[in-house]
Amino acid sequence: MLQPELARLLAGGQVLLKSCDEDCPSGDTHELRQREADEGNPFNYTPQLIHLHKDHQLFEDGDIHRHMYLQDLYISEADDKTTLSVSEFACHISGCSAVFSTLEEYEHHYNSLHRHVCCSCRRSLPSARLLDIHIQEWHDSLFNILAQRQDMYQCLVEGCGQKFRTSKQRKDHLIRLHKYPPDFRFDKTKKDRGTRETKRQLQHKDAAMEVVDDVCESEGVCEVMCDVLSDQPERGESMETHVSRDDEAARMAESASAEEHAGLSAAAHSAGNTGTEPPKPRYSYRLVFKEVCCKPLDVFRLFLAQYCCTQRGHVVPFIRCF
Amino acid sequence: MWRLNKVRHKAGRLGGSLEEFKLKKREHEKALRQARRDRQLVSKRLLLNEDEDQPELAISICLSFPQDVVTLFHTLQHSGPEREAHLKALSKALHDPTAQLTFIKQENSMHLLVGLLTGSNASCRLQAVRCLHELSHSSHANVAPACLPATPYLLTYLSGQSTKFTELCLYTLGNLCPESDAVKEKLLAQGIIPALASCIENQRHNLAVVEAVGFTLSQLLQAKDAAAKIIPLVLASSLPSHLLSVLTPDPKFGLAPAIECAWCLHYLTCRVLLAQGALLKCSCLLVSLGAAVAEGNKEDGMELLICPLLRCMGNLLSSCPVENLSTEVGDIHVVVALCALLQAYLQSQPALARESAWVLNNLTAHSSALCSALLTLNLVPGLIQLLPFSQGINTMILRVLANIAHKKKEFCVQLAHLGLLSALYATLKMADQEMVTLSMDVLFMLVVSGPQVAEEFVKQGGLLLIEAIQYNSEGEIRRRATYLLEHHLVSYSSYSIQSK
Repeated sequence: MLQPELARLLAGGQVLLKSCDEDCPSGDTHELRQREADEGNPFNYTPQLIHLHKDHQLFEDGDIHRHMYLQDLYISEADDKTTLSVSEFACHISGCSAVFSTLEEYEHHYNSLHRHVCCSCRRSLPSARLLDIHIQEWHDSLFNILAQRQDMYQCLVEGCGQKFRTSKQRKDHLIRLHKYPPDFRFDKTKKDRGTRETKRQLQHKDAAMEVVDDVCESEGVCEVMCDVLSDQPERGESMETHVSRDDEAARMAESASAEEHAGLSAAAHSAGNTGTEPPKPRYSYRLVFKEVCCKPLDVFRLFLAQYCCTQRGHVVPFIRCF
Repeated sequence: MWRLNKVRHKAGRLGGSLEEFKLKKREHEKALRQARRDRQLVSKRLLLNEDEDQPELAISICLSFPQDVVTLFHTLQHSGPEREAHLKALSKALHDPTAQLTFIKQENSMHLLVGLLTGSNASCRLQAVRCLHELSHSSHANVAPACLPATPYLLTYLSGQSTKFTELCLYTLGNLCPESDAVKEKLLAQGIIPALASCIENQRHNLAVVEAVGFTLSQLLQAKDAAAKIIPLVLASSLPSHLLSVLTPDPKFGLAPAIECAWCLHYLTCRVLLAQGALLKCSCLLVSLGAAVAEGNKEDGMELLICPLLRCMGNLLSSCPVENLSTEVGDIHVVVALCALLQAYLQSQPALARESAWVLNNLTAHSSALCSALLTLNLVPGLIQLLPFSQGINTMILRVLANIAHKKKEFCVQLAHLGLLSALYATLKMADQEMVTLSMDVLFMLVVSGPQVAEEFVKQGGLLLIEAIQYNSEGEIRRRATYLLEHHLVSYSSYSIQSK
C-alpha cells in the first residue's frame, strides 16, 4: 500500500526530538489542577503509560503468528483473509439493549423509541408535536377544565390549525378532511382512563415530593419518581409503543438486530404478554437516576429541570412533563 | 536456516491445494491459541535437509538401504566403510515418529549416537547430529529427553567453525530447551548461556548461525520462570549487545536472523536494556521499516520483525523517564512510521495495527513535543479515520487523541477542527462502553478548551446527544453527561436548533 505523504516525510531525513518544558510525568499543568479543583468533577482522564506483560491477551495474535512461522505454517498475507472488524453501535438507554451494525440503524431506533417519550405513561410518540399534544390531552388537568368551555382538541395535521370541542369531533375531521384511517395509532382516546390517570398523577406528585425530602434511600425513591406507574399497557391501544423496562428488554436485544423496527415488535410482544398479567412491582429493577440522585441538591435540580423544561422550550427526551 | 520463500515452497509441495493448507493452518491455529491460554505455547524447528530439494537422491538412498531402524542400528554398531551412508539413512528414517520411539527403545542406541557424534569421522559427526536433531523435534514425551546425554558435546561444539554442523547443534539444543524444567536446569548448569554468547560473538558474520543462536535463546527465554533464573544471567552476559547489533536486517540474507533476535529482546525487555540503547535502536529500525512500508515495499514476513520491535519499544517506553525521552527516541518521525504501519497492516494484521497504536499511546502519554508532532505532521486525520475499527484499535487510538487533547487547549481546538468532534458523535454511540467513556472524556476536554468548540458542538445538536447519555445504564457515564450539561453546556442551549 502506498502512502506517499508519509513516505515523503520519512524520506526527508531525521528530525530529532527535543525536550519540551511542558513534558512532565503527571501532566500537572495549571489547567488540569483547576479542572480537578472543581468539586464533583467526574472527568479524570490522565494519559497513562501502558506496560504489557509478554503473556498479555493483546499479544495473542502476534504470538500465534510467530509460532506458526516457527512451525513452517506461515502464510503470506496475500493469501489470508482479514480479521478486521468494525465497532457496533448500541442503545445504552437504561433497560434497552439493542445493538446495531450501522449508525443509521441506531439513529432510527433511537428516534423511533426514545426520543419523544412521555414521562408519565412512557409512551413513545413519533414527533415532538404529537408528544406535546399527548401530554396536554392526557396528563394536563388544566386542559380538561379548559376543554369544557372551549375548543381545545387540535387537529393533528401540522399546519391545519383547527381545534375541536371533543376528541371525537377531531377524529371525524381527521377522517373526513385529511383522509386518516379510523384507527390512527396516535389518536387514542382516554376512554375510562380519567380516574386512573389522575390517581396516578397524584401518586406521581407525591412521589416527586418525597424525592426532595428523603434522599437517603435513593434507590427506592428514585424508582418511584421515575417509575412508570402504568407499565401495564391499556387493552385498547396495542400499537403505541411502550418502552418496557422489564425482562422484555432481553428479548428486545435478541430480536433487535434481526428486525428493522425492532423496538416496535418487541414492545408489541410485551404489550401482548403483560396484558394478561397484573403489573408486577418494579422496585427490584435498578433505575436511571440511582446515582445521579445521591445528593439532595442534585435531585432537586433535576426535579426542577424536568418540570421547568418546557418553559425553556428545551426538548428533553424521556422527560416531557407538563 | 530458514528463508520465507523456502517455507512457502515447501508448503506448496505439501500435496494438495492452498485451500487444504489453509484449512490445516486454521485448525493448527486453534490448537496454538489454546496452548497459549494454558501457557504451554512451545514450538520446535526442523532444519530442512538439502536432500529434500533433490527428491531423486532421497529416493535412491531409501531404495538402497533398508528403512528399518532396528536393522540400521545393528548395522551401525559394527564399524564399516558405509557407516556414513547408513547414518544418513538412519537420519531419514528417524523422521518418522514410530521409528523414533523404536530407536530410543533399543539398548545403547543413544550411546552409539553420542559415540559417532564425538568420533574422529567428521562426516559421521554431521550425520549423527542430524539424527539427534530429528529426535529433538519429536513432541513425544520420551523421545526428546533421550537426547540429553549429548548436550554437553553439543554445547562444546558451539565454538566450532563448521556452519552446518553448528546450526544443527543449535537447533537441536533449541528444541530440547522447552522439554522440562529439569532439562533447562541441566543446560544452564552446563553453561548454555556463555556458550551462546561466545558463539554469536565469534560467528556474528555468519548469519545462518546467528539466526540459530537467536532461536535457541528465544526458546530459553520463554520459560515460565525465565524471569527468576534465566533472564538475569542473559542480561549479565554480552548477549543483549550482540542481539541489538543484529537487529538491522541484512538485505541479501533476509529478515530471519533479525526476527529471532528481536523476539529474544522482547522476552528480555526491561529497564536494563534501556542503558544499552535498545529503545533508540528499535525506534530507528521502526522508522526505516515504516519508510519501506509507506513506499509500498512491504516484504513477506516483515510483520514478524515489526511485531517484537513494537513490543520492545512499547515496554521500554513505559519504563523510560520522560526527561530521557528525547535521547532515547531520537527521530520524531517515529510517529510517522507508526502511522504508516497502522494503516498498512490494518486489514491484514489488525493485531499489529493495535500494537502500533499502543506504542503511539506510550509515546504521546507524557510528551508534548510528540503530540505536537502528530498535529503538525498532519497525522491526526488519518488516526480519526481509524476510529470505527474495533478489537482494541479504536480504544487505543482514542487514547492517543486524548493524550494530545490533554496537553494544551490549543491542541484541543486543532483536534476539533480536524474532525474529532464530529467523530465523537459516532463513537459516543458505540456498543463498547470503554469507547463511550473515553469519548466523553475527550469531549469534555474539547468543550472546556474554548467557547468556539462548545458552541459548535451545541449547534450540531450535541445537547440532545448528551441528554440521552444521561440515561445510560452505566453510572460513571451518566455522571459525566450530567456534569457536562450542567457546568459547561447549559449556557449554550440558546444556540441549539431544536426540532419542535
